[in-house]
Order: sequence, then C-alpha cells, then structure tokens
Amino acid sequence: MSEEKVMNNVAESEVMYDDAALAAEYLEKRKKQHEEDFAKPYDPECILEVRHLRKCFPMKKTMTGKVTKELVAVDDVSFKLHAGETLGIVGESGCGKTTAGRAILKLHQPTGGQIIFNGKDITNYTPKQMREIRKEMQIIFQDPYSSLPPRDTVGGLLSEPVLVHKLVPKDQIRNYVLKLMDECGLRDYYFERYPHEFSGGQRQRICIARALSVNPKLVICDEPVSALDVSIQAQIINLLKKLQRERNMAYVFISHDLSVVKFISDKILVMYLGAVMEFGTKEDIFRNPMHPYTKALFSAVPNPDPTMKMDRIKLQGDIPSPANPPKGCRFHTRCPYAKEVCKHVTPEYKEYENGHFAACHLLNEEQ
Amino acid sequence: MDELEMKQNEEQKAEVVDTEVPLDKNLRLMSPTMMVVRRFFRSKLSIVGLVMVIALFLFSFVGPLFLSEIPTTKSVGGAEIEVFVPNNGKWGETELDASGKVTIGVPVPVTYEKDGVTYTVYQTLETEHQYNSLAAPSKDHLLGTDDQGYDVFVRLMYGGRISLIVSFLSVFLVTIFGIILGGIAGYYGGAVDTVIMRICDVLMCLPGIPIMLIISTALDSPQYGIPAEYRIYLLMAFLSLISWPGGARLVRGQILSLREQEFMVAAEAMGYSTSRKIFKHLIPNVMPQLIVSMTLSLGSMILYEATLSYLNMGVKAPYAAWGTMINIISTNQDILQNYPNVWVPAGVCIVIAVLGFNFVGDGLRDALDPKARR
Amino acid sequence: MAEKKNKNYLSGKEIKAIAKANAKRIKELEKYKNRKAEESEFLAEMKNPDNILEIEDLHTFFYTEQGVVKAVNGVSYDVPRHSVVGVVGESGCGKSVTSMSVMRLIQGPAGQIDSGSIRFQAKDYRRDSKGEPMRDENGELIVEEKIYDIAKMPINEIHRIRGKQVAMIFQEPMTSLNPVFTIGQQLDEVTMIHVPGATKEMAKQKSCEMLRLVGIIPENVYGHYPHELSGGMRQRVMIAMALAAEPRLIIADEPTTALDVTIQAQILDLLQDIKNKIDGSILLITHDLGVIAEMADYVVVMYAGKVIEKGTVFEIFQDPKHPYTIGLQKSKPTMTLDDSTELYNIPGNVPNPTNMPNQCYFKERCAMCIHKCSGDYPGMVQVSPTHFVSCHLYSEEA
Repeated sequence: MSEEKVMNNVAESEVMYDDAALAAEYLEKRKKQHEEDFAKPYDPECILEVRHLRKCFPMKKTMTGKVTKELVAVDDVSFKLHAGETLGIVGESGCGKTTAGRAILKLHQPTGGQIIFNGKDITNYTPKQMREIRKEMQIIFQDPYSSLPPRDTVGGLLSEPVLVHKLVPKDQIRNYVLKLMDECGLRDYYFERYPHEFSGGQRQRICIARALSVNPKLVICDEPVSALDVSIQAQIINLLKKLQRERNMAYVFISHDLSVVKFISDKILVMYLGAVMEFGTKEDIFRNPMHPYTKALFSAVPNPDPTMKMDRIKLQGDIPSPANPPKGCRFHTRCPYAKEVCKHVTPEYKEYENGHFAACHLLNEEQ
Repeated sequence: MDELEMKQNEEQKAEVVDTEVPLDKNLRLMSPTMMVVRRFFRSKLSIVGLVMVIALFLFSFVGPLFLSEIPTTKSVGGAEIEVFVPNNGKWGETELDASGKVTIGVPVPVTYEKDGVTYTVYQTLETEHQYNSLAAPSKDHLLGTDDQGYDVFVRLMYGGRISLIVSFLSVFLVTIFGIILGGIAGYYGGAVDTVIMRICDVLMCLPGIPIMLIISTALDSPQYGIPAEYRIYLLMAFLSLISWPGGARLVRGQILSLREQEFMVAAEAMGYSTSRKIFKHLIPNVMPQLIVSMTLSLGSMILYEATLSYLNMGVKAPYAAWGTMINIISTNQDILQNYPNVWVPAGVCIVIAVLGFNFVGDGLRDALDPKARR
Repeated sequence: MAEKKNKNYLSGKEIKAIAKANAKRIKELEKYKNRKAEESEFLAEMKNPDNILEIEDLHTFFYTEQGVVKAVNGVSYDVPRHSVVGVVGESGCGKSVTSMSVMRLIQGPAGQIDSGSIRFQAKDYRRDSKGEPMRDENGELIVEEKIYDIAKMPINEIHRIRGKQVAMIFQEPMTSLNPVFTIGQQLDEVTMIHVPGATKEMAKQKSCEMLRLVGIIPENVYGHYPHELSGGMRQRVMIAMALAAEPRLIIADEPTTALDVTIQAQILDLLQDIKNKIDGSILLITHDLGVIAEMADYVVVMYAGKVIEKGTVFEIFQDPKHPYTIGLQKSKPTMTLDDSTELYNIPGNVPNPTNMPNQCYFKERCAMCIHKCSGDYPGMVQVSPTHFVSCHLYSEEA
C-alpha cells in the first residue's frame, strides 16, 4: 500500500527522482569514501575502532549456493571507543544492534568494513587466531536463563574459562573464582549450586562474573538488564559501572531502553533498520537530539511522574521489515517531518557539531 | 531525611552484596538428582517397568547360579545305573536330560475272528526314548523339557542372557554411531550435514529383515568358520550399522537447537576449542534425550533379536535364545497344540522385557526431559 | 553422596512429608472446585457498590514438591467502576497470579485458590432453578445485576464470567493468537460464543466494529493469518478480541512489555482511548512504573505475594510511604535523572515465597529498618482515605 502512495506522490511532485541513478551514484560515492577511510592509520589511543561495519545474511540462494537476496542487518556502522569508555547502542527490535555487537566480536563474520581491536585489524583473523584474543573481549547476554549451561555448577562454569586460558595455576583456581564471585556480589556458598536455582538477577551476576573471569578489555553488553526487574536492574547497572571503574574496561552497551543507556554511556549510537541515525557524546545527544527518530524515541519513554504529561512525537505505523527497508531515508515511512526528497535520496551521514553525527535531510536545509 | 537516606545508600553501595542472608539461605529446594528421581518414581508405570527389567536381569544372570542338581542315576529296565554328569552336576544350557523315558501310545483296538467269535484286543505301543524329551513340568524340570530333551526353564535363563546382552550391545553401538555422526552433522552443518543426512536417508530405505537374511546366509558359509554362538553378535552388529540413522537424527536435531542457545555463543566467545564445545557443552545436554531413546530402543532391539532367532538366523542349537525357543513351534505342530509349556514362557519373557524397557523409557523421559514434562 | 552433605537441599523424608500434605489439601480443594452448586451459594454482597471488583484476603498457593509457594498471600484490593487500577511489582510478587485467580485460570492441580473471596459485579441472565437463562414473555433474555464470588464458583459455572464479563489481554502477542485461523475467524468466535443466538453476519459486523475501535482498517486484517501481522498489530487484535464480548473488566497483563517503545506508546494511547469509550474498568498489571504513572488512576504495589501499599496514582508517586515503593521509584533510571552519581538500588533479591518467616518480607532489603521490624508482619495502616501502607514505620505506636 505504501508503495502505491509513493508512486502517486511521484506523479504529483514537481521534481522527478530517478531512483536507479540515485542508487548508483550513492553506491559509487560510498565506495570511494570507504576506500579512503580504510587506508587511514589506526588510532593508537582507541581500544576498539569500527569502520563502516556491514553484515548481510543470505535470504535466498540458488541451487548452486549463489546468494540472490540478502538481508542487510548492519549497514555502515563506524565508531571509536577508548578504554574505560562506554558506547551505548540504542534502537528498536530489528535495528541490527545485536548483530552489530556480535559482528564486532566476530561471532558473525562481518561482510564488510574493518574492526580494529587494540591496534590490530582483526577483521580477517582465522577462528584459531581469534581464540587467542577471545579472552580480551567478552559478551554478556540479555537472557540470563539460556546463556548459562544448565548442567554445570556455578563454580564449574566460572572456573572453566580460567582453566582453558591457563590464567592462574590449577590449585589457585578456586580462590580466584571465589574472589571474582565476591566482586560480582555472589556469595561463596553459591559455588556448588546449579544455575536453575537462582533468580534472574543472580544469574546475570553469574554471567558477568563469567565474562570477567578472563580479564577482558572490552565487554559487549547485549541488553543485560532488559529481562530484569527494576530494583535488580539498578543493582546490575551499578555493578557494571563499579567494575568498569576498577578494571578500566570498555563497554559496548546495547539496549532499547534510552533511560538505561543514558545512565551508563559516554557516547550514544542510535540505529534504525540497520543504519546509524545519530551518533555523538551523551551530552550532545540529550542536549540537542538532531534526528527526528531520536526525538521520537526520547518522547516515547513513559515518564514515572503522573503530573507530567508530555507532548509526544507520535510515530505512526509499524517498523518495516529489515528484509525490505524503505528506499531513500529508512525512516521516512514513519517520520512526521518526511518530505519528498526523503523518499528517494539516502541522506548523508555527516558531522554537524564536533563529534556529533547524524543522517537526515532536514538538517541540511536548516544550515 | 533524603540526605540521610543517601548516606545509608552509599554504605550499601560500597558492598553490592547484601550482608544479611536469612531468606535465601533458609530456602531449601530439591537437588537436581533428587528432582529426577522423584519425577521418575512419581509414575507407577515406571516403577512397574523397573521391577520387570530388574527381575529379568536377576533371572537371567543370577538365576543360573541356583540351578537344580542333575540326578546322577538313571533307571534302565528297572535297574538304576550311574550316569555321567557334566557341568558340576547342574542343568546347563546345553545339557540334555539323558535319563530317557518311556512313552505309551494310545491303545489301538485290534479285532480278529477266531472260532466264529470276534475278539477285540487293545494294543498299546511302548517306546523307550534315549532322552527325556517333552517331559511335563516337574520338580526336576520346572517347565518341562523340549523336544530335544533340554530343560526349558534353564534355557529360558540362558536365552535371556543372550537376548539382553545382544540388545544392549547393539543399542550401545547405535548410540555411539549416532553421537559421532549426528554430532558432526549438527555441529558443522553445511555440506558435511548434507552428506551424512543423505546417507541416513539411504540407510533408512533399506529393508532390515531381507538384508539380515542375506548376511545370515553368508555367515553360514563354512569358509568364514564362525562359531554358532557368535553369529548373533555379528548379526546385531550389522543391524546397528544400518539402524544408526534414528540416533543420529535425534542428536543432530538436539545439537542444531542447542547451538543457537546463548550459552553456546558464550562458549564460542570464551574461545573454547571445538572439541571442548562439542564434548563438554553439547553432548551432556543431549544425554537426557539420548538415554530416553536408548531405553526405548532396547525394547525394539529385543524384538528384533527375537525375530531373527525365530527366523532361524540367530542363535543356533544347542544354544538358546528366546526367539529360537519359540521357533520350535514352526517345525512341530504337535508342540504348538499340546505342549504350551515349551514355547509360551519364552514369549512371556519377550513381552515382559519389551514392556519393561518401554515403561522405564517413558518414565525416564518424564523425569529427564523437561520439555516433555506435564 | 555429595547431596547428603549439602544442607541446601531437602532430605528425602521432608520431600515425602511435603508430598503427603500437598496431596491431601489438593484433593480437598479440587473437590470443592469441581462440586455442583446452587447459584445462591456463590452470590455475594459488595462492600462498596461503586466497585466492580473486590478482592479480599485472597490466598492462591502452589503446592509444589518443594513446598507450598504462597504466590498470593492475603491480597485485598478493589477496582472501582470506570477506572484503571495498576498493579505493580517485580517478577514473582504475585501480581499475575492474582489476575489469573480472578479469571480462574490457575493451573491445577498444583495451583489452587486456597481461601479468600473475589466479588465481581456481573451483568448476567436471570436463571431458573436448573441454571438455564430465563426469557420474558417476548422471548427476550432477562438481564440483571448480580454479584458473584468468583473464588467460590464451581469451575463449570465460570463460563458465566470468563471472557464475557472479564476479558484478558496477554503479554505475548506472538503466541496468544492461534496461528491456523484467520484473525476474522478468531474474532467472530468470541461473539458467537458469548452472545446467544448470534449469526455469522452479526459476528462479522461486530468484529469489524471492534477492529475499527482499536484503529485497524478491518479489510486489512480480517482475512489474514496472525503471522502476517507485526507485534503491535497483533496486540491491537488481542485488544479487539477482549472488547468483542463487551466486558465490564479488562485485565491487561503486561500488555506492552514485549513491544518496542514507539509501539508501546501507540498501544498505551489506544488503551487510554478505549477506557473512555467502553463502560468498564481496566486492571493493568505491569512492572513498568512509567506505564503505571501514565495510565492508572489507582495503584497497588505488591511484594512477595502481599500488597504493601495502595492508593491513588498521585499518592503513590508523589508521596510514597513504603520503603520498597520509595526505592523502586528511585532505582528506575529516568531521562531527567542526574547520571553522574550511582543509581539508587535496593540490595538483595526478590525472595522466593516459600517457607517465609512471620515478619516483614522486605526487612532484609530495607534501608529504614526499625526495632519493631523483627516482630510480626505489619498490618495495613491507613494514611489517607485512599492511601494504605503495610509498614511498621507508620503504625500508630511508632
């Protein structure tokens, strides 16, 4: 139905857009930009640098295995992250935030782009090479129930990584793990118990302890608190913050909850349907949200104060399927300010303030 | 007020751990083992099944230790003579009751005329057999003897040994094949998966019994020189070779779903080696379903063994198996009609074994497999 | 065996004792549930005629092999007419079990309503001595106001209320629609079941009306299957389904938890809108304080199977009394919060409601404990005509 509407509008509008030509032009420009960026030297201060990360999943294959249609889960994500910093990735379901997190850890092999971890380009590392640097980058999952092996005691599953990576001598493993458990707020008598005996919050602590058991430099937190109760959420957030201070780790904190991301992050990346909408420091984003989607996200969060009834920017309709993202600006189908140009031309992702990037046509007009 | 609170909070934050413990330390739950045991014994059927299976095991493996003595004398023509007693003087699997017996035939009226008077004389035929075959149940032979003179009760025990061992071994083999091939197919996926699964498809198309017939005939050929008592083991090994696809599919399916679980992604992120991931993380999680399916397939393996033996492809005389013991009726109609004590007990044993294993399997499934729980 | 040394686990003897006690109680309760009863046995009187639902001292227990889980342990609250009552609490606090008790959807034989009453103001047909609906001389069904005690109703009479007078919207829009029937078929079914003598045309007309009410153009979804719709659309359809039988009370159990924020905002707007359009009340169950603040008129805060505080939405959010309510509100990160400091947090974990001692359940997590807290479980204290709190800090002697 929406396509029909687009067709009608094209006929009515004065400017005619040649979609095919625009797409070709866009691809050409992007390719050039990427080549330029890939050649740049690595920033030695950064623990993690991601350049134009792209991940596609095959959707349809021919008999010979040739991919005829693919789902672009993550399209052109770039950022830099220093040690001890937190990057928050915000977006709704299907925006590719989880895929981006896993592609950074190379749990999914990226389709394109560069991942520079600790001064080394790990994009094309073999699984064997990866195994050695795995202990420097870890992940915490959303669901504390399925992310712990069901048939292992807490002590067992926490000692395993220490044993595998030979971090401490064998006879000291128990003490090492007990110290770690204490650090993560787990009592020592949990050592012999099984994960199924614990509540979600305690399980999430176990997950955190397991991730930290190998002393990582980077931890991807994939919605670590969204399955938890409010009071437990606060505990886990504080625990993550405390551990970050003590160990100077970098976090990539993925969440759909803006208020949580605001609390923990230094930089924020807003994603929609696989693409970056806005990126900047927390202060910039909250002081001056540029993209209409960011604004809408902000106003959609229910406020726990019955006296404050906010004027919402209401987004109409549903999130389109990531398999068929809309042409032009991906957000135009729901954007309250969408114009004709948004339906055809992909907006350029560029820096509007110092360190504050966005991709929206409206911003160009203002300037 | 608020500031005071904040201070208190500060103190708490210093240690994220809550210092007072009472509630969750008081809380006592069931241990995982206990939970499985309770769930298993909650069902009456699984208890019945377990009793059946244990009884059969005791009967077959412990029973032969308490066999009755073979009488050391034999009466020939009224005189008692000493006989040779093998096997420590007990009835064994291959001991014939050589005490002999005399059968008296049905009286046949014979009429003849003499001096104008018709006489009818009843003539009976008394035969002396070397072996005490087809004896009625007695103190010596609790279930009588069969047409060869073997003790039915004793052979039931020895037959049970063969049936149980053979089915356990073949199920074990099937499981090993299943874990290895299914595990490889499920874990690596892609072309490896396709190849293994297509082999499965082909094997599943093969008709079991005809193939066994062919192999059995081949094994009979003297050029291999395979002793009669080992034939059945070889046959069942062949059977396992063509029946692993069931196990492999189960393992593969389980691994495919487990592989997507987040704890496997976590294992990958931890940098564990492939073999560690498979054997330490995947296989233990497949075990419950595997144990259940193994127990259930024990029953069908016993049936298979019985079928093979019944078709005279399995254990050959003088050795016994439950199937072979039933096989008697196919050659001797008289036994089918008049001597149920020779073949019915073997049939009962098979039924008990199959039912028992199935009950235990169902009980285990309820206890071990949380997805199938009510 | 390692298990024997471990005092964390129950011994075999204790397990047997539990199983025996459970079996006895379950048998009694099942018998009571499945009995045949005259209508007069489960008719009741409302304490306040303005209420549509009154829950009083409700106990819903789960008789598990590991002991009796007191999921709902003496809960009382009212739902006034034309209002939204929000029940808030963390997972395992019994908020959903209470609503399931109202629908009598507790999974037996382990889960049972042990005692208490749930009085509901129903609009039902007058019935003869056999329980058949009566008609007047024109053949029309006679409708009258009745007050049922749902907790005392035999289970085979529950169809008088379930789905028709009280409808439910579930959390998971992905699984609460049957995938093999079209949306239209499922919507029509509701009308066909609950309106005696309804025809197919009537049902379809009604379904389309309901779909329009929830902001869907009927032609777009009527003939479609659930998997063709997005999560937000499905939740709209679920709401339409709940509305189809014109219920007096809608129980919305975490209606927006599985949805994205922008879609959640749409659904909340819709619920607000519907509340004004229908003649009924909404019982909204959620863990999200923001949703409660936006939607509810009255708020009930639950913790470990007990109501610890209840009052109007302004009382609860602007003048919370119970330390748990205070902590809950402070520990929620908000958009306006200063994030340079640490987030306030309530230490410890939500207790498992088995083998609870007779003292305040929140005691070990409480930052404002006084000497009295080691005593009995605190009773309800009235701090304003509508505001009640269960905490020793506010009891008269303190």
